[in-house]
Amino acid sequence: MKRLKQILINVLDIEEEQIKDETTPDDVENWDSFGGLMLALELEKEFDIQFTTEEVAGVTCIGDIKYYLKKHGIDLVNKNEIS
Amino acid sequence: MIVPNNISDYFRNYREFEKEPKKWEQQCSKSLRIAVLSSFSNNGFKEILTEKCLQSDIFPDIYIGGYNQYFQEIINPDSAFHVFSPQMIVLFIDTSSLLGDEYLLPYGNSEKYRKAWVETKIEELTSLVQTIKEKCAAKIVLHNFEVPSYSPVGILESKQPFGLMKTIKDLNNRLQEAYKRDHQVFVFDFETFCSKIGKENIIDHKMYYIGDFRLKLDLLPRLCDEYLGYVKPLLGMNKKCIVLDLDNTLWGGVIGEDEINGIHLGLTMEGRPFWELQKFLLSLYQRGIILAINSKNNYEDVLQVFKDHPYMVLKEEHFAALRINWNDKVTNIREIAEELNIGTDSLVFVDDDPLNREMVKSEFPEVLVVDLPEDPALYLSTMQNVNDFNTFQITNEDKNKGKMYVKQRQRKDYQKEFTNVTEYLARLEIEVTIEEATPFTIPRLSQLTQKTNQYNMTTRRYTEEDISSFAEQDGYHVIALSVKDKFGDNGLTGMCVIKKDDATWEIDTWLLSCRIIGRKIEDVFLAYVLEKARKNNVTFLRGIFIPSKKNHPARSFFKDHGFKKNDVKDTMEYWEYDVNKEYPYPTFIKLIRR
Repeated sequence: MKRLKQILINVLDIEEEQIKDETTPDDVENWDSFGGLMLALELEKEFDIQFTTEEVAGVTCIGDIKYYLKKHGIDLVNKNEIS
Repeated sequence: MIVPNNISDYFRNYREFEKEPKKWEQQCSKSLRIAVLSSFSNNGFKEILTEKCLQSDIFPDIYIGGYNQYFQEIINPDSAFHVFSPQMIVLFIDTSSLLGDEYLLPYGNSEKYRKAWVETKIEELTSLVQTIKEKCAAKIVLHNFEVPSYSPVGILESKQPFGLMKTIKDLNNRLQEAYKRDHQVFVFDFETFCSKIGKENIIDHKMYYIGDFRLKLDLLPRLCDEYLGYVKPLLGMNKKCIVLDLDNTLWGGVIGEDEINGIHLGLTMEGRPFWELQKFLLSLYQRGIILAINSKNNYEDVLQVFKDHPYMVLKEEHFAALRINWNDKVTNIREIAEELNIGTDSLVFVDDDPLNREMVKSEFPEVLVVDLPEDPALYLSTMQNVNDFNTFQITNEDKNKGKMYVKQRQRKDYQKEFTNVTEYLARLEIEVTIEEATPFTIPRLSQLTQKTNQYNMTTRRYTEEDISSFAEQDGYHVIALSVKDKFGDNGLTGMCVIKKDDATWEIDTWLLSCRIIGRKIEDVFLAYVLEKARKNNVTFLRGIFIPSKKNHPARSFFKDHGFKKNDVKDTMEYWEYDVNKEYPYPTFIKLIRR
């Protein structure tokens, strides 16, 4: 999941070691509601998918993002790759 | 700072900017306080507008009004908005905010109600703007309103006495009329902006419901580009003059090679893009933009096109300055700016050759260099997107500003200019390969003698058989030259035929494609031939120049390179170079001998 990792770093300005399933918006300075929207938009663009409104609003942690990506058929080969 | 690709890139850059705003303030030559007031979520405006300003050499101080707070902020004289004291104000109220419930329920009320609504809204908007005007002298960019593209009455919308669409169109017309003669307020035609984008693409419904975004985030950079169209004239940064190349820019092909009947210009598939580009340029001329030419051509050839080509829309009289010569484009640009008495910062440079563009960019970062796409079919739309010609009105002040900049530029002396061109060439990483003719290169060498007209000393045309026979004989050298630089490979673009005698070598043929002239390639070539002659104990290198209608650019080659003229027969000139006299290789060109 190098692509997810890169987008998280680009959009949220997050440290690599912070990228864990349990990381929530509260842990990341730039992950406010707008940051979350940008994240959704850029993931949609990168993976050529469309999240539903509910999915975008329903993200509470990085694990959720991975869950929704998987739901849209994005194969997360190795969990460890991003953590 | 990175070149923004996604919206988040603007945010990343903004975070960088915020770390050291002082550094940016020192780097930018202008600054401006801009306030953006909107009726909906305003995230992104600050970051994107900042980037756009910095890209244009403007240090921005941006105030973003509170979410849908525009009314209170304008009315309250002590609001943060007024304290900020903007120099430019964008007021962006969107149609659905303005209409409220009527946006989705337009026909719950009568025709009379809708007509009265327009009156009320015009009244409200103009008095709001009036409040701003009474408090500050800032330029006000007032959005007009997107005409909805959906109607609940469907195909009958056009049958409505005063329908929803008509209501908004009417409002827009009234707004335009209200500020037609106002020097402070400019109505930004957001409706046309939306049409240009496509109204189905204006809104991201998901974003709208989640965060009340009435405009797709991806569109903000384009919208901010539109705002810059107002910022630039406000700061006197509008462009005043377009400096144009000719070959493959105003027409297709090379006039010196293809001649007047061979260039593409007019009704054909190949000619129409150039013809239409010329019409576009004429339309700019008609609004007061100055046109100038900066091209490597023979003056007479161009004059003939002006006079005789039926589809040459632009005529000599449309150009305020002509630099049709064989000087480098940088020198010409400098001369054009001086002649017209305007700053180089008000110039736009248009040339199909990326190399010339790079040269101008590196010498004059303040010149707007248009990166023409490779396909001429895209020239017109590319030029139409240059949003730098705007003026609020033409004042004497504007004219004087140009002069001031010219004075500043004039302190640069010629010596420095020369050094810079050399430095520029050094940065190109030019690589010249020189080799004797081989069976693989002979067809191309023959073709070069057939097709090269301009930088050709003797214009002797040779067939492949001719070249082969020279190459096989001991009495001749046929030498091929190829050029490469960091922008790409020019391929085999130069050659010479040397006729050998014991004491004297004679240059029978010496030619370079005009693509590679002006980069000291000819110096390397000459140094190479002289070195070879020296090794063979030759005393003199003889040059021959046979003037033709088209080889004017080559005329001074021998003189400029230390040859002495020792005879003229009819028009044929004989020149000589003492081989023992050192001729140094230009240090910045890498030579590969094969």
